[in-house]
Amino acid sequence: MIEANDLTKEYGSVTAVNGVSFSVAEGELFGLLGPNGSGKTSTIRILTGQVRPTSGSARVMGLDVAKDPVGVRRLVGIIPEQETPPSFLTAEEYLRFVARIRNLDAVDERCDRWFDLLEFGDKRDVLCKDLSRGTRQKLMFAQAFLHEPRLALIDEPLINLDPIMQRTVKDFLQEYVRDGATVFFSTHILDIAAEICDRIGIIHNGRLLHTGRVDDLAGSGRHLESFFLDLVRGDAGA
Amino acid sequence: MTPVPDLFLAMMKEEWRVHSTIFGSVGFALFPAVVAIFAFLGSLTLPLFLDVLPYAAVALLAHALFLLMGVMVGSFGLMGREFMNRRFGQASLIAYASRSLPVSEQRIFAAFLVKDTVYYILLYVLPFTVGFAAATPFISLDPGYALLAFVSLSLAFLLGLSVVCFLSTLCARSVALLAGTVAPLAVLAIAGYRTGMIALPAVLPPYAIFVDPGPGPLALSLLLILVPAAVSVLFVTVDYPDRTKRFRNSLDPLAGRLHALGSAHFIAKDALDLLRSEGGAGKVIFSFLLPLGLVWICLGVLIRFIPGIDPLVVFAVLLGVISATIYNWLTEFDSFTSYAFLPVEVSEVIDSKLKSYGIANLLPVAVLVLAAATAGGAGTFLPALAAFLSVSAYTLAVTVYLTGLYPNVMLYHAGVFLRYVLATSPALLLLIFASILDPLYAFSSLLLILPAAFLIVRGRTKWQAWEMPRF
Repeated sequence: MIEANDLTKEYGSVTAVNGVSFSVAEGELFGLLGPNGSGKTSTIRILTGQVRPTSGSARVMGLDVAKDPVGVRRLVGIIPEQETPPSFLTAEEYLRFVARIRNLDAVDERCDRWFDLLEFGDKRDVLCKDLSRGTRQKLMFAQAFLHEPRLALIDEPLINLDPIMQRTVKDFLQEYVRDGATVFFSTHILDIAAEICDRIGIIHNGRLLHTGRVDDLAGSGRHLESFFLDLVRGDAGA
Repeated sequence: MTPVPDLFLAMMKEEWRVHSTIFGSVGFALFPAVVAIFAFLGSLTLPLFLDVLPYAAVALLAHALFLLMGVMVGSFGLMGREFMNRRFGQASLIAYASRSLPVSEQRIFAAFLVKDTVYYILLYVLPFTVGFAAATPFISLDPGYALLAFVSLSLAFLLGLSVVCFLSTLCARSVALLAGTVAPLAVLAIAGYRTGMIALPAVLPPYAIFVDPGPGPLALSLLLILVPAAVSVLFVTVDYPDRTKRFRNSLDPLAGRLHALGSAHFIAKDALDLLRSEGGAGKVIFSFLLPLGLVWICLGVLIRFIPGIDPLVVFAVLLGVISATIYNWLTEFDSFTSYAFLPVEVSEVIDSKLKSYGIANLLPVAVLVLAAATAGGAGTFLPALAAFLSVSAYTLAVTVYLTGLYPNVMLYHAGVFLRYVLATSPALLLLIFASILDPLYAFSSLLLILPAAFLIVRGRTKWQAWEMPRF
């Protein structure tokens, strides 16, 4: 579903992503882990065609992200880390707006499903600017899955959500993957990755230091946290 | 308690960094130089037009221009209770300081006003007067006029800024209070002006300082600036989003009605942004109709200096330029980053903004019709309409080409601003002078439609490939 080859992204003199290569197979729940500023968000932006790589290439669901970014975004669902829904649309209007952009049918049913699943139907007629951060995150989650994509790319999926809603979302993502879809997400919360990911990648200073199965790590008797800290601190000291 | 000077310095740094992050330090630092160069070149041409444009008329226009600038700087951000959010957006932290630090809204607002005063005087007024000062030896004027101009133009700018802050504070408290204050003052001012009891210098005391320097107009200017500013600081109120607003789904019905235009859901969103954002119709009054009213009044005065001028045609040209700021409204609440994770292209958003702009232009057309009816200018209405439509389309096209979806920030880049002025001013000046010779020459403005179409096409391609620098 995702093939990244030697991706590099430079912002002026800063190299945010440095020669990153990896692949994610269909039906995987892949977590990209890294400290703040390590290159997770830039990697997701490249994979979703939001920014162009300085060098290297990536294919997502068979499409070249640099050549057909809109095609990629048409197929996948994306939850960006920082973006919030438009201030002056209500929650329902925003979902309908996204549904129109994606030319979806059965819009009422799709909206109702997400209002019910994420339990924010009572906020459907509230302006987005008046929603709490958690509810905005729910709304961004809903817009990303409204068209039932086979691949979702999520930047910090559980940020701002309360523990109950975190459980709901984690359960949803695991079930979603069991049904054959693929999820790629970034996080710096290691417990989430340890709990729900099939495979992880660890990125630091723009370089991918490790990729592997979470089960293999557990099988070798290592905790993800200590493995992560050793790897990142070792890289920082190198 | 954080002192106002510290807040002021932090806000100055913040404003500088926001602009310089986008344009680069050099690109933004050169903006005042561009203003100075244009002021210098413009001042050099003054003797050429002395017969049709006496120095007194130029001085009046310059003071009206800076008054207008103060109004627009103030009104752009100060739309009642929501101004902090809109003014600074997510890029600013200081404006939100009263949420997390023991800093009152009054202190933040006072620092904000002082910052705007210093920032925009350094950005516009000082470079303008430096350019004028450099030209005085070549046009046989006493360089002392430049110093005087710096003082009087600064006061004109501050007068506009202060009055708008005052009005916006009233509006934030109560629309009825705003109406109850403004309506009697406006009636008194118009009645006084019409009956000759109030002369123009009394309405615009900074201009009076320039024409006849003295303590009287200076004191009146300071009074008219400081009192409204003090009242607006003391009674400022900031509506943090603790009041939940609910609306039924209006997007689909509105988009349904606009279906024939295409991009209907984008246009409907633009409409809802404008209608639901704080200020509502107040935005239109402050940032569009108020400046237009000032332009109309100034034209009325200018006619006395330039016999033969057709005010409706000149007004239509200026209306076209000011109408292009509607594009700023349409992009103010929107950013392509909001669409970057959806299957949407930049060109698609630009197209929808152009359609929204076309619809919103019904407002200036109505203003033009009203102006024609008021001035009894039915005879020149058609050339005026042609001039308005062409200039509006051309200025919009230049704005789109140079700034894409970011006119509110990109026009502060020295290079962008230079190209904007070079692309618009020769055509507009030529059009104004041609229409002075014969109002029917205003039809020649229709030639601007071709370059406008070309620039729009090029702009769509250009901005498709652009990436917003990250803060």
